[in-house]
Amino acid sequence: MTALEFHDVRVRLGRGRHAAEVVRGVDLEVPSGTVAGLVGESGCGKSTLARAAVGLVPLASGRITPDRRRAVQLVFQDPYSSLDPRMSIGAAITEALPRSGRTAGEVARLLGLVGLEREHATRLPRHLSGGQRQRVALARALAARPEVVIADEITSSLDVSVQGMVLNLVREIQRELGLTLLFISHNLAVVRYVSDRVAVMSQGRVVEQGPVDAVMSDPQDPYTRTLLESIPRLRQ
Amino acid sequence: MRRLRSPLGVAAVVSLAFLLFAVVLGPVIWADDAVRTDTLALTQGASAAHPMGTDGLGRDVLARVMVAARPTIGLALLATGVAVAGGLLLGGLPAVLGRRAGRLVNGFIGLVVAFPGLLIALVLAVVLGTGGRSAALAIGLASVPAFARLTQTLAASVAGRDFVAAARVLGVGRVRMLVRHILPNIGEPLIVQATLGAGGALLAFAALSFLGLGVQAPDYDWGLLLNEGLNRVYLNPAAALAPGVAVVLAGLAFNVLGEFAAQVFGGRAAVTRPSGRSARPVPGDALTVTDLRVSYGDAAAVKGVSFTVAPGERVGLVGESGSGKSLTALAVSGLVEPPGVVSGSITAGETAMVFQDPMTSLNPALRVGTQLAEVARTHGRLARRAAWERAVTRLDDVHIAAAARVAAQYPHELSGGMRQRAMIAMGLMGGPRVIIADEPTTALDVTVQKQILDLLREVSSTTGAAILLISHDLAVVAQLCSRVLVMYAGVIVEDLTVERLLAGPAHPYTRALLASVPDMAADRSLPLATIPGRMPSPADPAAGCPFAPRCERADERCRNELPALEAGVRCWHPVDRPVASDAMRAGESGRDDLRVNDPRDNDPRVNGLRGNEVGS
Repeated sequence: MTALEFHDVRVRLGRGRHAAEVVRGVDLEVPSGTVAGLVGESGCGKSTLARAAVGLVPLASGRITPDRRRAVQLVFQDPYSSLDPRMSIGAAITEALPRSGRTAGEVARLLGLVGLEREHATRLPRHLSGGQRQRVALARALAARPEVVIADEITSSLDVSVQGMVLNLVREIQRELGLTLLFISHNLAVVRYVSDRVAVMSQGRVVEQGPVDAVMSDPQDPYTRTLLESIPRLRQ
Repeated sequence: MRRLRSPLGVAAVVSLAFLLFAVVLGPVIWADDAVRTDTLALTQGASAAHPMGTDGLGRDVLARVMVAARPTIGLALLATGVAVAGGLLLGGLPAVLGRRAGRLVNGFIGLVVAFPGLLIALVLAVVLGTGGRSAALAIGLASVPAFARLTQTLAASVAGRDFVAAARVLGVGRVRMLVRHILPNIGEPLIVQATLGAGGALLAFAALSFLGLGVQAPDYDWGLLLNEGLNRVYLNPAAALAPGVAVVLAGLAFNVLGEFAAQVFGGRAAVTRPSGRSARPVPGDALTVTDLRVSYGDAAAVKGVSFTVAPGERVGLVGESGSGKSLTALAVSGLVEPPGVVSGSITAGETAMVFQDPMTSLNPALRVGTQLAEVARTHGRLARRAAWERAVTRLDDVHIAAAARVAAQYPHELSGGMRQRAMIAMGLMGGPRVIIADEPTTALDVTVQKQILDLLREVSSTTGAAILLISHDLAVVAQLCSRVLVMYAGVIVEDLTVERLLAGPAHPYTRALLASVPDMAADRSLPLATIPGRMPSPADPAAGCPFAPRCERADERCRNELPALEAGVRCWHPVDRPVASDAMRAGESGRDDLRVNDPRDNDPRVNGLRGNEVGS
């Protein structure tokens, strides 16, 4: 496995007068085989950073490794729009497989990995629930044999009981395959549950990073403190 | 199949049959009549032998019109084929080419779209030379730009979706992207457009032939027949009328087919209006809901919900998607749209709604202050000036700094949190007794979420308004409310205080829901608790407790008999029953005792009528 590294990454969106620097010099390392959480509020640049890592958004400056095609895979937030409605589950996963390994057996193996049945391969996305679709999206990302997976808010459009299932699955697969995972979410409790390390982003910069327990119990940056204080808590 | 029986479906089938008949059998049946010259009956009017008269050579006009159907429609389809092929090619190019070249193609499409189609067709017809095929080519080419523009616009909208981005990340090539991912997802509107376009091509073709630029004698199509007929219109009006009617009918047929295709593909179902009116809220103190039911056809989404919210009380309504919580909120505000049918009784004081997305619930074209003032002007009949001043006061009440300045701004100039504050201020303009907040913080960041929840609590305690907070997030509800109603598959399964919720609920579903949410104290070494299975669909009328199939405490009785909401919990096997005082309060608020013991209660149709009586 490989580590995911961001070196002084800057991303500018828009053109001319409307251009805005959305990511303003991010240095971040996700060590090989570990999970790093990335938290921050909407518009802080965390999703743009993810899209830059998979080549959907060009970098203004800086470097992201690995930068090989397909080595980094992204799982999107909304499982209702990230799967082609006209493509069967099997076809979607097959498309993601390396050309030499496109077999029905491999599709079945990946479906099994995310807790779906072989029979799901013939279905269309509209026949699946939100949680099942997100499993398919995960299987598709894994089919590309990535070295790094980035999960961008993958549970925020799911119901709470389904969210738990997907989080359990992500943790299991990450451990089983030893994946390097960047887990992006606005939900601190979810990030805390999944991650080894955590980085807090605000206004295009990483304002704090460190081991998850250290950051959550003893935040250094005032913004992290505000964020932690704002979370509604169930158990005191 | 059911769509075929709608009036449009019948019209489409009849038109298609008419076209097919004329095209396939026309030349077979009338070929001889169409060429047989009758020197004794030159340019005659309608008669028994020649229903539409004869032409200058004594040939039967009706037979000629029927025979001309095949070349006319064939050439129209050829023109449409050219338009579709060219349009797909040109409109698909930007998706395949790079950014710069794509922009160039778009510019070119924009340029040619600016010219009127018929003008291009005329010029092309002259350039390409006379004759049926070249005219078809001219009309086809003239329609290419419009079709290309449609293809390009639709492709661009699909190209922005996540599944295309996902395919790009996987390294899918541009051509495969267009063929496998983009075209299948824009096929339906293109088919509709092509069918409608065939009607247009038919008319354009008739026009060209009429002008002598299309089909040339001795061949003939409807346009040419029309031309011949018009020369002798004073001698035999029927000879001009017949091809004219044929053109109009065929054009209509294509349009009807296109409309029908649009309805089938676009899912534009004919709206069936339910008989009888839905129950509406009636004025009263705070909020009392008794036996509320909301159904869509056979699917009952809310199945007999009863609860009371006291003045100043803050109650949370939680549940997962499909539980019926949002429909309950909509019904309480009288906002359920047909074909939804609401029954039961709702009494509510002056109600204010706060929605999830204030950007869509505020009018983007009006200043914030204007929208707030409008409430005071219609409700309180205040003068313009006084209404505006009250709007500014209310904005100030929800802690918007520089309220006077914000009142003069448009919604898009405000941040999400500010818009939600403005929405709450708007709710306060009418002096509400109940504020119904449907996921008011779901679209907001956590820091802003806390501010909005604090504001709602403050508003409730200063104005004495009750709050019904609808949310999927137990933590959010626990932060603002004192009491929680838990909904599952259209029924309230538990009615409990927040203390009770935190200490340990009685219903297995509430417990499972609580256990599946990771919070800041969750043990990271253990997997999260999950609830196996799925919520039953509203269309599936299972007897018994709806949670039974997923519940480990369920037995035979649970599967066959729906328990009543007793002592705040709807369960045959609750986890250690709530303490007595708690139970009494919860039972009272459940209002089971208020339900009229009427056998008609079980008949939704009767309930609909009864709701109507109560409502009006």
